[in-house]
Amino acid sequence: MELDDLKNTWQQLPPQKNINTDIMEIIQQKSYGPLAALKKAFRKQIVLMFLLPFFLLFANAENMQGALTSILFWCYVAFCIYIIVSAYYNYSIVSKMENMDAMVKPKLEQEIQLLEKRASWEVTSLRVILLVFIVLLEVVPYVQHYSMLDKWHSLPVGIRVVAYAVLLLLHFFFSKRIKQRKVGRHLDYLKELLKQMQ
Amino acid sequence: MQKQEAEKQFEKHIREHELLLHKVCRMYAYTNADRQDLFQETVIQLWKAFPAFKGDSKLSTWMYRIAINTAITRLRKQKNFITSYEPNGFPEQASDDSTGVMEEEKLQQLYKAIEQLNEIEKAIIMLYMEDRSYLEMEDILGINEGTLRVKMNRIKEKLRQLTKTY
Repeated sequence: MELDDLKNTWQQLPPQKNINTDIMEIIQQKSYGPLAALKKAFRKQIVLMFLLPFFLLFANAENMQGALTSILFWCYVAFCIYIIVSAYYNYSIVSKMENMDAMVKPKLEQEIQLLEKRASWEVTSLRVILLVFIVLLEVVPYVQHYSMLDKWHSLPVGIRVVAYAVLLLLHFFFSKRIKQRKVGRHLDYLKELLKQMQ
Repeated sequence: MQKQEAEKQFEKHIREHELLLHKVCRMYAYTNADRQDLFQETVIQLWKAFPAFKGDSKLSTWMYRIAINTAITRLRKQKNFITSYEPNGFPEQASDDSTGVMEEEKLQQLYKAIEQLNEIEKAIIMLYMEDRSYLEMEDILGINEGTLRVKMNRIKEKLRQLTKTY
């Protein structure tokens, strides 16, 4: 079969039936694509994390002063701020990926680079959060008394250190799996596409 | 008022090149519903990018870029959810009355063979069949002309082999 003989027929193919081609109607609709869904999820995360500390204060309305002087409360606020920054960072990465008006190959390369950057940043930041969490568990009882930490601190130091080590080891082993679950399959797909272009 | 004008202008451009979008949908979508979704998503992406279109490249080049980018980046998600694959998902009406039966059969064979190609090969063959120059293909895909020529020869050979089996 010679492709060139079929070019003419190909070019004269009629439009498909059963497809809504009402352009004005379509452009009023929102994108349903995976990037749009991701952006929506990050927006929700930002709003939720912004509101959560206020909910906490509201829940402790009877002891507002106690909540405001609690180290744990401010640690929680710091954690929320971190999540907001993280979600905003992810949001801006997805926004960059949304630009479809680029040559296919450079766009794939950019998308792979951005996703890899995002994935490694998430792994690193989770590690930092764990370390901060461990430090807080150890330091907070010396500054403020929390009955919920008494039981933990009644354990011998050795056991606590082993528990922290296990936690960090688990993170080390699972971070790769989490990364693969979150963006790995998509990254593999994009890399495969790029390979097809070589 | 300005928005309305932009919408009208956009619609006019899309209408002029609507067949281009249908061809991309045929290439990359597997069911009627899937094709409808892809058509819709591509138009939305084109509309989003329209304010930034300054005419630096041909309108068709710009549309091909967005349509192919949209199709291949959404595909990995859609493929996971395909429950009813339509093997003859290519044209419901491959030809009009004037097209010979032989030619239509050949075209059907070609469509079947194209389904076996990878996403990038599909894009290259589609642009080739649309009679786009290698320069324009380079502008759309970002693959240099030399590589495109080599790829095109390989794809032609692959299609020859595949059509022999049908």
